[in-house]
Amino acid sequence: MKTARQAGLIACHFCHTLSKLPEEIESKTQYELKAGKAIIHCPCCQSSLHSRIPNSLGRTWALLLAALILYIPANALPIMTVIYWGEGQPDTILGGVVHLFAQGMWPLALLIFIASVFIPILKLIALFSLLISVHLKVQWRPKDRTVLYRITEFVGRWSMVDIFVIALLVGLVQFGNTASVLPNLGALSFAAVVILTMLAAHSFDPRLIWDAIDDEKSIQDNKSL
Amino acid sequence: MNSNNLNHIASIPSISRLACPDCDLIQTIPPLANNEVANCIRCGATLFKQQKNSINRSLAFAITGLILFIISNLFPLLSLKAIGLTQESSLLSTAFSLLEVNQLLLSIIILLTTFIFPATTLLGTIYILMQIKMNRINCYTAPLFRFLRSTDAWGMLEIFLLAILVAMVKLGDVADVIYGISLYAFCLLILSLSLLSYSLNPHDVWNKLRDSNGCSL
Ligand SMILES: [Zn+2]
Ligand SMILES: [Zn+2]
Repeated sequence: MKTARQAGLIACHFCHTLSKLPEEIESKTQYELKAGKAIIHCPCCQSSLHSRIPNSLGRTWALLLAALILYIPANALPIMTVIYWGEGQPDTILGGVVHLFAQGMWPLALLIFIASVFIPILKLIALFSLLISVHLKVQWRPKDRTVLYRITEFVGRWSMVDIFVIALLVGLVQFGNTASVLPNLGALSFAAVVILTMLAAHSFDPRLIWDAIDDEKSIQDNKSL
Repeated sequence: MNSNNLNHIASIPSISRLACPDCDLIQTIPPLANNEVANCIRCGATLFKQQKNSINRSLAFAITGLILFIISNLFPLLSLKAIGLTQESSLLSTAFSLLEVNQLLLSIIILLTTFIFPATTLLGTIYILMQIKMNRINCYTAPLFRFLRSTDAWGMLEIFLLAILVAMVKLGDVADVIYGISLYAFCLLILSLSLLSYSLNPHDVWNKLRDSNGCSL
């Protein structure tokens, strides 16, 4: 069994058509191929072809660090202010969860806790450890790490639920001084964290997890020959 | 792009030999029965789904979805009654209400994820599937489908439905929450969108596009 890269083929990211590397490309340096510079286009869907997502690690790191920085204001600043009879009460993400608990709405509190606290932290840690494991060429449990990546990519969007709730409350609760809801800067920071981690997950290439194993194997095959 | 482009396709007719999108291992897909799924032997990724009639069914779900999307935008999704006043909100008004409180960026994010991306997904999918059915594939079909595939994750209507439920519970204590035909249509819209993403088999669409040669490059 061979990978597409070992067989001199490139699979299109979108339509999965396998293309052969033309001769003029084989003569290019291995470095350029590894950097994944798009040299040819997919004959089926015209997408630019690269064996791995170009500069996947660099881009994922940049997006992840940006998300990590914005994670601080997202949690420290209030996300919305509920004004009741002229008195404002700003709430942070955690403050909102605690509030719901105090009001006895614990299923709701649990839902918001999972979507707004648990999933973002899980995503940041998962992407961070995936990046480190690829850098260190770790060969430990590649299948489980791929599953971890898939979970990270799948659940990330659901953190947006709190942002949508704020947007709905802002639109609905507009009764002047009696009761109104205003969004705060924390909400924008949190939305940015969700979007940046989604982009980071998209730019990570799970095939890099397997490259460490495939490269090791081909070195051993060469030795035994 | 060069003229001998087709010479470097390694597998033309239909995909029987695939590289796993998650681990790059090349595998041969055995002939599958209807509704059978081929998984990667190494990492477990779904490589191929065999589905009969996927294009017709997807077209039906997409058209149903578009009708429901229009209905759920015609009337307010939720209304709130307090101190003798009624406030209404719909998909678009939710995005625009953030504009009124000077949150331009948040407003754009909401507008894109709850209106623009879902609308382009529905319209684009209908357009492409119609083109395939009527054999009118042109140079823009493949790039359009590529665009739809890459923006798929950014339409977040199902998450918005969860947010509506949360808001209803939160507000139910303090005021009267009124909902009507739009919310029912919206729930059905989420159902048809999930059926659409289940029945739409991208491999089927790509195979059709590849076979048609509708665009000479
Ligand atoms: Zn392609
Ligand atoms: Zn695989």
